[in-house]
Amino acid sequence: MPSKRILLVIVSVFALLGLVSACSGGSTEPTSGGEKVVETVIVKETVIVEKAAEEQIPEGATVIDFWHAFGGGRKLLIERMVADYNYTHPGVYVRVENKGSYRDTLNAAILAAQQGNAPHVVQIFEIGSQLALDSGIFMPIEDVVQGPEFQPDDYIPAVANYYKINGKFNSLPWNSSNPILYYNKDIFRKAGLDPEKPPQTFEEMLSACETIVSSGAAKNCISWPLHGWFFEQWMANMGAELANNGNGRDARATEVYLDGDAAKTILNWWKEMYDKGYYAYSGKLEDWDGADAIFVSGQAAMEITSTSDVVNRQNDAAENGFELGTSYLPYPASSERQGVIVGGASIWLTKDHPDNELQAAKDFMIWFTNTENAIRWHKATGYFPVRKSAVDVLEVENWFELNPAYKAAFDQLLETKETKATQGALIGAFPEVRTIIEQAVEKVLAGEATVDEALSAAQKDANKAVQDYNKSVE
Amino acid sequence: MYTAKFKGRFLPWLFLTPTLVILVVFLYYPVVQTFVLSTYRVAFLGLRKKFIGLDNFVSLAQDTGYWHTVWVTLIITAVVVVGGLGISLAIAMLANRDLRGGSIYRVLLIWPFALSPAVTGVIFLFMFSPGFGAINYLTEQITGSELNWLGNPRLAITLIILASIWRNLGYNVVFYLAGLQNLNTEVLEAASIDGATNWQRFWKVTFALLSPMSFFLLITNITYSFFDLFGMIDIVTKGGPLDATNVMIYNLYRDGFEYYKTGLAAAQSVILFAVVVGLTIIQFRTTGTRVHYGG
Repeated sequence: MPSKRILLVIVSVFALLGLVSACSGGSTEPTSGGEKVVETVIVKETVIVEKAAEEQIPEGATVIDFWHAFGGGRKLLIERMVADYNYTHPGVYVRVENKGSYRDTLNAAILAAQQGNAPHVVQIFEIGSQLALDSGIFMPIEDVVQGPEFQPDDYIPAVANYYKINGKFNSLPWNSSNPILYYNKDIFRKAGLDPEKPPQTFEEMLSACETIVSSGAAKNCISWPLHGWFFEQWMANMGAELANNGNGRDARATEVYLDGDAAKTILNWWKEMYDKGYYAYSGKLEDWDGADAIFVSGQAAMEITSTSDVVNRQNDAAENGFELGTSYLPYPASSERQGVIVGGASIWLTKDHPDNELQAAKDFMIWFTNTENAIRWHKATGYFPVRKSAVDVLEVENWFELNPAYKAAFDQLLETKETKATQGALIGAFPEVRTIIEQAVEKVLAGEATVDEALSAAQKDANKAVQDYNKSVE
Repeated sequence: MYTAKFKGRFLPWLFLTPTLVILVVFLYYPVVQTFVLSTYRVAFLGLRKKFIGLDNFVSLAQDTGYWHTVWVTLIITAVVVVGGLGISLAIAMLANRDLRGGSIYRVLLIWPFALSPAVTGVIFLFMFSPGFGAINYLTEQITGSELNWLGNPRLAITLIILASIWRNLGYNVVFYLAGLQNLNTEVLEAASIDGATNWQRFWKVTFALLSPMSFFLLITNITYSFFDLFGMIDIVTKGGPLDATNVMIYNLYRDGFEYYKTGLAAAQSVILFAVVVGLTIIQFRTTGTRVHYGG
C-alpha cells in the first residue's frame, strides 16, 4: 500500500513539525519503562487540548496540579476523567498537564520542587521509584491516607508487591503492564502451525521459528524492541534477581548481577534467534514503533511487547486484516516459569503543601485509581486493572471471555509467584543500568563480543554506575 | 567609520538595558552556573550537591567512552564540513550557469534548509528504516541482501552524515551562489586571455576569490555539526548502535537528563563552551589575514 505509507510519512512529518517547534531539541519519544506511550498526535486533538487548557478555574477553588507523561488518546482519556472529577467535586479544581516523556515528567517535577512550586500529583515510571524516593520531594501516600478510604488489600498481590517499598505504599499504583506475546494466527496457519498453540518456551520458539521462516510464511519470525525491560523480565521469569540486597528491596542495592547463568541463557538464546534470522528489530535501541511495524506489516509472525498495547494491536490487526492471538512471555524450559514484573507507573504525592491542598490531592488520587476508574482505564488502554474489585466486576461482565486478547495479559500476572525476583529491582541508577544492558545485547548481536565478554563488561560498567549514583545521594 | 555621539553617559546605557538584561539572565548567568556546577557532584538536577573540584573533568579524561564521543564528533564534523562544502560548491557552480528556468532550480536547492535537523531525521528514518524504508527496499533489490542502516555502526554513522550534509546543502549553496554571482568576471576573463585552463581558472581564481565565503561556511558548518545534530541523532539513532553516533552534545544530554549526572554534564558543557570560544577566536584572528577578500 504505497499510498498509505506516503500518507503515514506526511502525517508524521507534520506531527513532528508541530512537536519540534513546540519543544525544539527536547526528546519527543517516550523513554518509558514498562510500557510504551504511543504518540498519535493529531492536529485536531491538539486543538481540543489547548482549548481545555484555557478553561476557567472556578473562583475560590483549591487548585491541584497533576502531571503525567501520556500523549494521544490516553491524554484525552485522562483529561476526560479529570473533568469528571472537577464536575463532581466543586471547590477543587484539578489542573492536568502532560510533561512529555516519563523522564521529562520526573525532571520537570524535581525542577518545580526546587523552585518551591511542585505539582501535587506526579506520575512516575516504575524504574524511577528509587529516584523518586531519593529525591526527597515526595511523601509516602500511606502516611496521609487513613481508614476506610484506602484499601491496601484490594491491590492485586503482584502490584502491591512492586509498589510497596519498606512495607509501605509510597505511591498509588496506576497504569500497570507487563510483556506478552502477540502473534498473527494467519501466518501460523500458513506455516502449518496450530494457531491456538503459540510457543511457550525458548526451545519451542526456536522450532516454531524454523517452521515459519523455512515455510516462507513470513520473512522473520518474531520482533521485540531491543530494550532492557525484556531482559529484566526474563531474568525475573527465571527467578534471578537483578541486584544485590534482595533486589534492592532489603537495603540499597550496591551491585548488579548481570553475569550469572540466567543472563547468559537469555543472551545465548537471543543471539541464536538473531543469527538464524528469526529475530528482527529496527536496529535502534528502545524502538517500540520499529518492532510494531515489523509485526503489523506481516514481516514477522510474532511480537513481544507490552500489554498496554492490546487495544492498539487489535486495531492494527483489524486494519491489516489478520487474526491476532496473545500468549505468555516465553521462558527457557530449563527453569520454571516464575512470572513477570509489574511495569508501568504509579502516582506520587509531593510534600510541603498546605493542609487543604494535601487533602484535596489525596482525595483526587484515591478517586482517580478507584475501582470504577481502574475498569475504565483498563478497557480503554489494555493496562491491567490493579484492583481485585475491578477484576471482580470485569468477571461479572464476562469481559475476559468476550475479549480474550486481554486475558493472557491478566492471567500471566495472576500466576506470577511472589519472589524478590518478580518484585522487581530498586536501583537508583536504573536508567543507566538499562542502557548498559542494552548495549551489551547490541554488542553480542553484532558479533563484536561473546556473551561472556559482553556481560562481564556490562557487569563492571553497571556496578560503577550504581556506585557513582549511591555516592551522589549519600 | 561613523560614530554617533550621545549627550551624557546615561542614555546609551538606557538603550542597551533590554539587551543586557536578556543577555545576563538567559546567557551569562547560566554560563556562570554551568561553570560552578561542573565542580560539583550533583544529584537530581541540583537538589543535592557536593563540591569535588575538578574531579568531573578528571573522570571525563579517564573515560574511554567520552574519548569515543569526541572521536565520533570529530569524524562526523570533518566529513560533514568537507563533504558538504565540496558538494555545495559543485552544485552552486552548476546552478550558477545560465539555464532556462535556472531560478527554479536555485529555489529548489534551498529547500532542505527550511527543515529542522529533527525533521530531516524523520524523513531519512522513513527512507532507511528496515522493513518499510524505500531506500532500504531499493538497496535490498540491488544488492540482494538487506543493509541494516540503523543496526550497523558504520552504516548508521553514514546515514547521519548523509542526512546532515543534505540538510545543510541549501544553506551552503545559497551562500556559494551569492559569492559566485558577486565574482568579478573581469578577473576570470583576464585569466582566460592569459591562457589559464578551466581547472586553473577554477582553482586559482574562483576558489581563491571565494575563500572568505568558504571560511565563513567552514565556521558555521563546524558549529552546525557540533551542536545542531542533536535533534537528528535523537530521532534517528539515539546515539547508537554501540555509541557509533553518540556525539558529544548527545552524550551530554544523556548524562544530564537521563542519568541525572548533572555535574558531569556541566563539565561536558564547559568543554563544548571552550570549543566554541576557540572557534570564535580563530574566526576573529584570521578574518582579513589568511583569507582573500575583495577582487
